[in-house]
Amino acid sequence: MPLTDALPIAKLNQRTWHPNAVLLSLSLVMLAVIWLLNPVSVAPNRIVPGTSYHLLDAVGWFGALLISLLISALVALALLPTRANYRAMLALVIVMLLLMPFGLMVASHWLVDPGLPQARLSIGAASWSLLFILLLCLVELRLRLGLSRLATTLLLSCVGVVWWLSASLWLQNMALVQEFQAREQQFWRATLQHIQLVSMAVGVSVVAGLLLAMLMRRYAKLQKIAFSLLNFLQTIPSIALFGLLLAPLAWVAANIPFLAQLGVSGIGTTPALIALIAYSLLPMVRNTYIALEEVSSDTLEAAKAMGMRSSQRFWQVRFPLALPVLLEGVRVTTVQAVGLTAVAALIGAGGLGTFIFQGLGQAAMDMVLLGAIPILLLALVVDASLGALADALRPGGHE
Amino acid sequence: MLISRRIEPSSNANHGWALPLIWGVLLAAAVLGMPYLESVFRWLEPDARQVIYRRAEFSTLLGRHLLVVGVAAAVTILVGVLAGIAVTRKRGQDFLPLVGQLASLGQTFPPVAVLALAVPTLGFGTLPIIVALMLYGLLPIVRNTLAGLQGVSTDIKQAALAMGMTPWQVLHRVELPLAAPVILAGVRTSVTINIATAALGATVGASNLGDPIIAGIVNGNMAYVVQGALLIALLALTVDSLFDAYQQTLRSRLSAS
Repeated sequence: MPLTDALPIAKLNQRTWHPNAVLLSLSLVMLAVIWLLNPVSVAPNRIVPGTSYHLLDAVGWFGALLISLLISALVALALLPTRANYRAMLALVIVMLLLMPFGLMVASHWLVDPGLPQARLSIGAASWSLLFILLLCLVELRLRLGLSRLATTLLLSCVGVVWWLSASLWLQNMALVQEFQAREQQFWRATLQHIQLVSMAVGVSVVAGLLLAMLMRRYAKLQKIAFSLLNFLQTIPSIALFGLLLAPLAWVAANIPFLAQLGVSGIGTTPALIALIAYSLLPMVRNTYIALEEVSSDTLEAAKAMGMRSSQRFWQVRFPLALPVLLEGVRVTTVQAVGLTAVAALIGAGGLGTFIFQGLGQAAMDMVLLGAIPILLLALVVDASLGALADALRPGGHE
Repeated sequence: MLISRRIEPSSNANHGWALPLIWGVLLAAAVLGMPYLESVFRWLEPDARQVIYRRAEFSTLLGRHLLVVGVAAAVTILVGVLAGIAVTRKRGQDFLPLVGQLASLGQTFPPVAVLALAVPTLGFGTLPIIVALMLYGLLPIVRNTLAGLQGVSTDIKQAALAMGMTPWQVLHRVELPLAAPVILAGVRTSVTINIATAALGATVGASNLGDPIIAGIVNGNMAYVVQGALLIALLALTVDSLFDAYQQTLRSRLSAS
């Protein structure tokens, strides 16, 4: 025992009353945000910038009072943070998340002129901030209550289902919903394309990464060259790499008809895939290499002493032990690829980035959101699920 | 922190400041000499009406690019390091779990999506790209500041306190110098990513080195794309090697003392 532990220490911070400062400040910010910023805006069509409306205009005195009361309850509970109160706060946050689409419904009922079929309700700064802060509260509550990842995911998916239902059933006036309905097929095709591009790039780089890492373990010289080359590639901005690949591939397609028949062309999927793979290789190889190197030599020696052959040692000991770290690499790579594929839309590769860049080109902000929000969700889902998989495969159970 | 570790080449030769100098000279030469390379680009794009991007001087574009990245980096370093320090102090301790979670969660946000979300609220132009770069660049810095400060062993801190140092002295004489390499690695990641992301600003109306690339892609003029891509790549390599050289001197200073 260190000596300091044995000393009688005057506990400076022993206050009997210790409110949760995080939730307290978050809910106070929430109160300020909903009264000072505008929660919704209404535009006559998709190009004209809308007029913003204050909370009182959007949901009336009753709604404004209700939401202020809910947040005040959060403040009161945060002052006395017991476990029961944390549970109550969790319930309050979930209720507020569930009430958000209903608030939007009320607002669209009062503010959107039914005579104008093109008129649309957009979500304003206050609503976005409210959503963001509520999610922050959820993260904090999850940490305080020690909720598992699965429980939080389930809660959030319930909220998501309610939002989806209310959006598709009652929120026809909302700009995002209108954008979605105008190009529903296109949206699903783009999502599928996005996922295909990401999985192809990640799939190839997983295999190539494993091979490269195994070669590197054998030839030390290769390791140095490969890592400096991959580090170098990573420094080149994605947009530049996409652009740079256009020229040589266009030349190849023009001069070698056989490859052109296979689908190689300057613009489109091929240069996007090549660039995506090039980018995915570095995190993949780096993690695979570390994962394989970090398996403890004691374990390997024990395996050797048991009479395992070299290949047995690799496939039955080294590889399974390295798998969680390797999966961590797959997670990082995939999340990165989801974002990069969005950029690939610039060179005509398709995917959800198409909506972002088309929307930016037409100054139609709701279309930009139609691309950006699913990309964000996709990245979060990939991150959570691959993280959970790596946790489950860790030998000796969860950490 | 397994993921963010860089594997160094096994023989760690000290390049010193030669490498950044070489890249810097190449960058300057490319910026100034680009208009004289017309014949080269003509060979690349024989049918185009114009092969050298002339809507703005390359030096202006480079300046704007550096300005955007610089402003964003200055704000992020200030805010990120301060936030990292604040939540590791006793008073800000309550916020530590939340900030730590956010910093790791924020890594999953794709830069394009962040940029796209910034435009509807801030409009077109340079402002959304600066804000997007700030948001995106903040997270690596916060994460590494936290990791660096938490990595300083409590024994060392206690020894410093026992020597009679005030908490402030412990912070800026012991904790920050020891955490500096890790914090700097975060700054390097943040700035390198931001140089690349700033190029996307050209799609939202900010004029910088991304301009020739976007113009080239839209008009099908490869020469433009090559010019923009070349300059951005050289800029990224210059800045990255600068950080690398600085990290090496910092590391050798730490191990020497």
